[in-house]
This record gives sequence, C-alpha cells and structure tokens, in this order.
Amino acid sequence: MDGKSLAEYAVDFGESLGAEYVEARFTDSYSENYFFRNGNFLSIQEKPSSGMGVRVLMDGCLGFGTVEKFTKKEVQKRVDSITKMAKISERKVPLRFSEEKTVEDSWKMPVKIPFEDVSKEEKQRFIETLDKEIKKCGSGTLPFRNKIKNRILFFHTMSSEKYVVTSDGSRVESDESFISIYCVMNARSKDQKEQRMLGLGGCKGWEWLKEENVKDIIVRESERLVKTVEEAKSRSFEDPIDVIVGPEVSGIMAHENVGHPSESDRIMGREEAQAGGSFYKDLLGIEGRGEGKTVDLDETDKHIGSEIVSVVDDPTIQGSPAFYLYDDECVEARPRYLIKNGKLNELFLNREFGYEFGTSSNGAARSAGYSREPIPRMSNTFFEPKDHSREELIEDVKKGLLIESFTEWNIDDRRFHSKYVGLECYMIENGEVTDKMVKRPALELTTPALLESIDAVSNDYEYRMNFCGKSDPIQPVSVSTGGPYLRLKDINVGG
Amino acid sequence: MTEKKPDGDLLKVAVDTAVRSGADDVIAKMVGEKKHQIRFSESSIDVNKEWKNHYMDIFVSKRPRFSLTGKINTVTIQDPDKEKIKSRVPKQVSFLDELPKSRLFWGVEENTYSSYPSMDLYDDGIKEFHEKGPQLVKRLIDSSERAGAKKAAGVVHSGMKKTGILTNHGNGGVYTSSFCRGTIRAFCGDESSGQALLATRDLTKIEDKFENVGQKAGKSAKKCLNAKQGKPGTYDLIMSPTVGGNIFENLLRGVNPIMMIGGMTPLKGKMGDKIGPEELTVIDDPLKEEGLNSRPFDDEGTPSKPTNLIKDGEFTDIIHNPSTAKLWSFINKIKLRFWKKAETTSNSELGQMGFTNTEENPRMLLPSPSNYRFKPGSYTLQEMISESSRPTIYITSNWYTRFTNMSEGEFSTVPRDAMFLIENGEIKKPIRNLRLKGNLLDVCDNITAIGKDIKQVRWWEVNTPTFIPHIKVEDCKFTKAKG
Repeated sequence: MDGKSLAEYAVDFGESLGAEYVEARFTDSYSENYFFRNGNFLSIQEKPSSGMGVRVLMDGCLGFGTVEKFTKKEVQKRVDSITKMAKISERKVPLRFSEEKTVEDSWKMPVKIPFEDVSKEEKQRFIETLDKEIKKCGSGTLPFRNKIKNRILFFHTMSSEKYVVTSDGSRVESDESFISIYCVMNARSKDQKEQRMLGLGGCKGWEWLKEENVKDIIVRESERLVKTVEEAKSRSFEDPIDVIVGPEVSGIMAHENVGHPSESDRIMGREEAQAGGSFYKDLLGIEGRGEGKTVDLDETDKHIGSEIVSVVDDPTIQGSPAFYLYDDECVEARPRYLIKNGKLNELFLNREFGYEFGTSSNGAARSAGYSREPIPRMSNTFFEPKDHSREELIEDVKKGLLIESFTEWNIDDRRFHSKYVGLECYMIENGEVTDKMVKRPALELTTPALLESIDAVSNDYEYRMNFCGKSDPIQPVSVSTGGPYLRLKDINVGG
Repeated sequence: MTEKKPDGDLLKVAVDTAVRSGADDVIAKMVGEKKHQIRFSESSIDVNKEWKNHYMDIFVSKRPRFSLTGKINTVTIQDPDKEKIKSRVPKQVSFLDELPKSRLFWGVEENTYSSYPSMDLYDDGIKEFHEKGPQLVKRLIDSSERAGAKKAAGVVHSGMKKTGILTNHGNGGVYTSSFCRGTIRAFCGDESSGQALLATRDLTKIEDKFENVGQKAGKSAKKCLNAKQGKPGTYDLIMSPTVGGNIFENLLRGVNPIMMIGGMTPLKGKMGDKIGPEELTVIDDPLKEEGLNSRPFDDEGTPSKPTNLIKDGEFTDIIHNPSTAKLWSFINKIKLRFWKKAETTSNSELGQMGFTNTEENPRMLLPSPSNYRFKPGSYTLQEMISESSRPTIYITSNWYTRFTNMSEGEFSTVPRDAMFLIENGEIKKPIRNLRLKGNLLDVCDNITAIGKDIKQVRWWEVNTPTFIPHIKVEDCKFTKAKG
C-alpha cells in the first residue's frame, strides 16, 4: 500500500475501534547535511525517511504513535495499540477537539530549482566558496592574518511529501522544501575572543541562496564580527539610557517575550514540566484546565505594552523559514496578531486548546517530524514594522546604545524575566551612531518592562532563522526571528 | 544479556554486501526498540505515546591508498530485510566515490575482541510496564498532592531496546537494555514549585520509587510557598544533583574532541591542568549497570571501559573513538609530542546529526559520552547547609543555560522551582526570580564541598545520564531582571 492509502486506512481503522477522532500524517522525506570546518568537509550525509504518525482521541484521552512498516496488518496492530494506550489514560476531564472546517486541498512550497536538480559538487562548491569568503574577512588576502580562526558551517536541505488525513474528512497533501545554513564563527584579536552563531533558512529550493543574498549576508556578518572583536570595549552605564535594538535582537525578543507566553498549551500547563508555563495565565485570570473553558480576549482589557507595540506571527509568508498554508491538523494557516497596539490580542491555538478556550484553532499545530505529536508552535514571529526609519529612531537619542546582534540570552520558564547580551554594539551620542563599540552589554528586563519601554519602531524588516525547542521528546522546529529596529526608552544596561 | 554473536544473519548480509561492493570499513547496527511516554499536567494525563522502531544503520568507508583520511557515509534502512539491504548498500558504497574525504575520519576499530563485559541491563518487568504506566503516574501525582502540592505536571518514559553490532573487522554482539525515567514538577502555586526526578533500570518496588519521587516534589513545592524576590549579589551556591547535572554536562561537553576542534569549549588547552579541588573526580562510565547509557561495547564493537575525565581535580582525558584517537595522535606528532598517543575510549556512536531530533536526521560516527559518574565526596546536604557561614543560595533546579562565548565558558542560567537563602548555617527563607551568572571553569575551580549523596540525573535539561551529588561552590554571582 502507498503512504496515502495507509493513512486513509489508519483513520478508518481507528474509527472502527470507536475513537472520537483519528488523524494520520504520512511523510516521505529526503535530507542532505554538509558539515564543513575551516576549508574541509567533515561529513556529507544523506537520509531518506518515511513514516506515519497517528493520533487518536478515545474516551476523551489522547494517544499517539508511529507506523514505520507499511503493511495493512502493521497499521492495524499499531492503531489498535495506540487506541488502547489512550483508553487506559483515564483523564479526569475528557479532552475534546475544536470543530473545524473540513478541507480537501494540496499545496506546494515555492520551489524554482529542486535540490535534486543540483549536483552534490555544486553544493560543495557553494560551501567551499562561502568559507573562503568568510576566511578573508578582516585579513585581506594574507591567510596568516585570518581573524575568524574557527569556522563551522552546517548546510542542510530537505524535501518532503506530506499527507494528513483526519476522521473529520479533511485531507491535505503538501510538497515541502527547506534549506538552511547555520554558521558558528570564532573570531580572535590580540586580546579578545568573540563567537557568532548565525542561522539563515527558507522554505524554498536551491534558488533561495541567490534570491536572499545568503552569501552576502554571512560575509557581512563575518566582517562585523571581526570589527567587534577588534574594537569593542567594556563600558559601564550608571544611569538608564535609550537602547535601540536591531532586527536580530527584536526578533528574539518577539519570540521569547511575546511568542512563547502566547502558546495556549503553556498557559494551560501542558508544558510545565518541560518548556514551562506562561505568565499570561495570571494576566488572563485562568485557574486551570476545564471542559471548554472560555477566555474571551475581546472582553478583557489586557494591556501589555506601549501602544506602538504590535506583534504578529505569520506562517503564510511565502518561502519564509516557517512557511505553511495548512497546519498538521489540516487547519488553514493565517496571520495572528499576538499583541495589537499594546494589548494582548490572540494566542497560538491548536484544536485541543481551541476547544479549551471556547473557540477554534488558528492553525498553529506543528510537529518536528512524523514521529512527534502536533502542538501549538510559533512560525514567523515579529514586531510589526511602523512608520519611522532607522535613522529617525537614532536621531532623537542623546545618549544611548545600538545593539545590532546578540550572544547569550535566556528567560525564565514563565517568560517574564529575560536577558539579552549584545554582541555588535555601538554608543549613540547626540543623535548619531559613533564608532565607539561596547563589549557585551546586558539587558535584563521583565517582559512588561521591555514592552512598555518601546517608544518607536522602524519601518524595515530583516529576518533570521532559528530552531525553537519545546515538548518532550524535544521538537525543534524552524522559525524566523527577525523584525524591525525598536527603540527602548530609559533602560538600565548591565554587563 | 550480552551475546558475542549478532542476532540473525541480516547484520552479516549487510557487512558482506558492503565489503563485496568495495567498502574498506563497515559497521552494521541493528536496533529494535519499543518506547513509551506518558505526559501529564494539571494532575491529569495529557497524552500516552508509543514508538516502535526497527532499523539498521550501515556505516561504510573507503580509504584511498596513501591517505590518512577516508570517505564516509551512513545509510539507514527501516524495517530491514535481505532484499532492501542488497539493493541499498551497494548504491551507498558506490556513492562514496562522489564524496570528498572527511577530515574527521581516520579509521575504525581494527583490533578484534574475543569477549565483552557481561552486563545486566534489562529488567523483564518492562514488558508490562506501559500497561501499569497510568496507575504509576496517578501514584506519582497523588503522593505529591498528599505532601502538599495542589497539582502536578510531568513525564514518564520507559522502554526496551535490542542492539546488534557487526563490523567487517569481526567485532560486535547483541545486548538488550531497558529503562524507566521520569520528572514530576509539583505546584502549590504558580511560583511555588518543586521538582523531583527518577532514572532507573531496576523496576523492583517501582511503585515505592514513584511514591517517594512524588512526595519529594510535593514537599519541595510546599517549602517554597510565599517565596520572595531574591536580592542580587555574590553568594556561595549549593547545587542540587539536578542543577550540577546541567552545569557539568555543559562543561563536560568539552571532553569531546569534536567540541575542542570546533572551539566550543573552555577546556581546550587545559589537559593536564588542575581545574578543580582534589575531591573532584569524574568518570565516563559505560559499565555502571544502573546508568541509562550503559553498554558492553560501543558502536564499533570496542569493549566498554571507564575513562577518567577529571581525576583528583586534574583534567586528565577526553573521550575518543578510533578515528579521533588517530587524529589526536597525529596532532600530537605534529606538535612534536611523540610520547602522547591517544586511544579509543570506547565512546563511538552512530548518532543523529541534525537539528530536529527526529528520525529524519542523518547519522554520523562520532565520539559520544556514556554516563558521567562523580566520585562521592564527604559531605551530607545538611552539613553543607550548616557549615555555610556566608550567605548561600541553594538551587534545586535550573534551565536555559546559555553562553556568551562557549570557548570561554561565560554563561548564565535560570533557577526554577524551589530556591532557598541560607544564612548562619540555616535555611532562612525561600526566594525566587534570580539568575546565576558565571564561568564554567570558575564554577569548577571554586568547588568547596562535594556531597556523598550520589543520584542519577537524566531529564529535559540533562541528556547524558549523570551520577552526581550536591556540590557547593563559593563566590557565585546572581542577578535579577529590572521592572
């Protein structure tokens, strides 16, 4: 039987056992990894992979499992076992899924040059050339003056076909494509060392490299790293100052301080023993999980930041690192305003928590692979660009700091107490960015303090790609973490 | 449960097919595993999961004449049979001709071993374990609530795995292992929580073990009710085994040659240096039967043996597979250190290489740790507390450890769950919302006491099973967020 027929059969069989809901997700994928360091390949690996994830809701309890042997008999055995696993779970309050529109559709990622049309030699050449360009940064043509001593490049392509079918009658077929490069660069000057992690990626084909000027971005960032390691000096700031953060930093702030607390499963406690909860639980006055509890965000006045702050998560951006048109529960994707004009506006909902919040899913169910359950996840999360140019943000600052990129960061598990350490940072004096670089300034702020302090947002946008980890077993999924420039007023800067 | 002869003839078919196709080195690894997981929150089960995998990884290499390095590739065959092996393996071997040489591959284990350590890594009770899983979870939750918790969240993993290895150098065998591990986080309020862990192979009296773990989490949550904002500053620190497991896993990542090559550890260039007190000894120990990563041999069929990573405070060794050992010996020769010859430490693993932690990731042959085992010290936790004459903070759990620069070891981490201020030798009060900032080497160097209460830690924030006690460190900086 082919994958699609097996998925259909799994759903039919699950229903015949009495399950209230069955969902089967068959994936057939092919990955290539190129692992490269300082001019040499460490490995080139490829992997075809096929499998099916099956989820059932039986007597209000959820079961999940996989099928990797593609016969009817095996599907029967596995679905039977998953259904029994669900049944013995005996929840106090039965789980229900939200009602969703039935869809039958297929969609493709915008691929112009499929990876299989590009030879391995060409892929190798791209990486070798990129490494040579990075190596030149700061050293001209003299190799012994090389400043970026250690360069690790991890290049990845994956193409996959996915078929999701649910017992509600929804069927969505997709052709997906993902390409990414992750760079670790260690730079050294006479007396300093700095490390830069940089991720870029997109849901496109080989053309992504040219269309997004990937090589230019990485080389530009490498040059900036060399400048940082040579020029940055520790400076202390006794009084609060204005801080402007660049797209990379505003992106991680949107992700950590706004995206994660907006995940409905965190708010309801389902992640509390792993990736944590959310301070939104208190903000929304939620006691705990119940049967179809309603929290109507329209009826509440949940002020969370200054009026200029709007944060959007949009999976429908063509070719972006987290692009999709239907989620892993066959729900159509759409942009979501997490914060609108300073007020909490929308949460990430899958069908389980759509029901719990008395509404429907907003297409946020994603899984890292066929062997993982779909849960509420972010996609491309960013502060919504506004009217000012970057220069206008700077010209009003008498004394301040511009933070273009970051190194260390973390946040507590309720997403309230965050920390970001700057990497490429400059003093701003009298409305101009100076050439005085600042070494590793630290912003340690609560989420409300951070969001309240924003008084201006630029009109541009630049993205970065990251993998966001959540769930157990951990499910890293690709997300974009870019955005515009933000100006934060009167901030205490440590280091 | 260790057999010298691999099961069935599929491994032999794979090795013979690869050799006939022109491979110089072949490692065939067959895995049959069944794993279960129950996740719960709000004192109720959220999902009950089951994975059943049967696959074969086949590593092949070609070593061109007069070359120190070789070409490598690995293929994974799901649900393997003779037909699939005979069709896929020759393609994979001929594909090697299209690849460049890997600078990381210097050869595989070529010594032949006639026997392996006998190890008991399997508890027959695992067969029915998943059926009583929900009842055990209920017991875990109930015991935490009886101890004072209002609700609990957590996870219980269990499973069994049969691993067969065969190499073209005649090494390998079969072993079967089982495991059970769990985390419970008990809550008295959203900011009053306690966490406890369980990691074991031994299912004897497993109900009691669950009961104790639940009770511990509940008590811990109750103790930190009404915790107040901590004051930033410099304190001495007592790390629970859970916290030490995380901090030291981050330091010990550096005992891997791949991390050293990549400039991702502050341990580079420190071999032979004193990096901690005399009492600090840490061993990579694949032979400790209770360790969840224990095994009689590694993925190249090298018999398992313990390796002293830190001995009496000195950084003594790093882990190797035969390939990195040869590379290290070569580097030593270039540096004219002819007397220094590295050897495999039985840490070779065909592990996943990729970001998604799923079956879609390709495999790569690399050194990988087994279990870390700390030598017990002489202190009880109570003694560490009562001998605290300076302000001290006791952290029971942490997460989100991140680095400013991994090669320097500058980090911060966020304590979560119960945290206490100790003054004048007594626990003064529960505190919250502080961040620990430091340097991995300083933490190691500033150890003032090592406990005797060794516990195996393996959870979401600690991937390598670690047998570790409470550890006390002086002069640690704590910060807090503004606003």
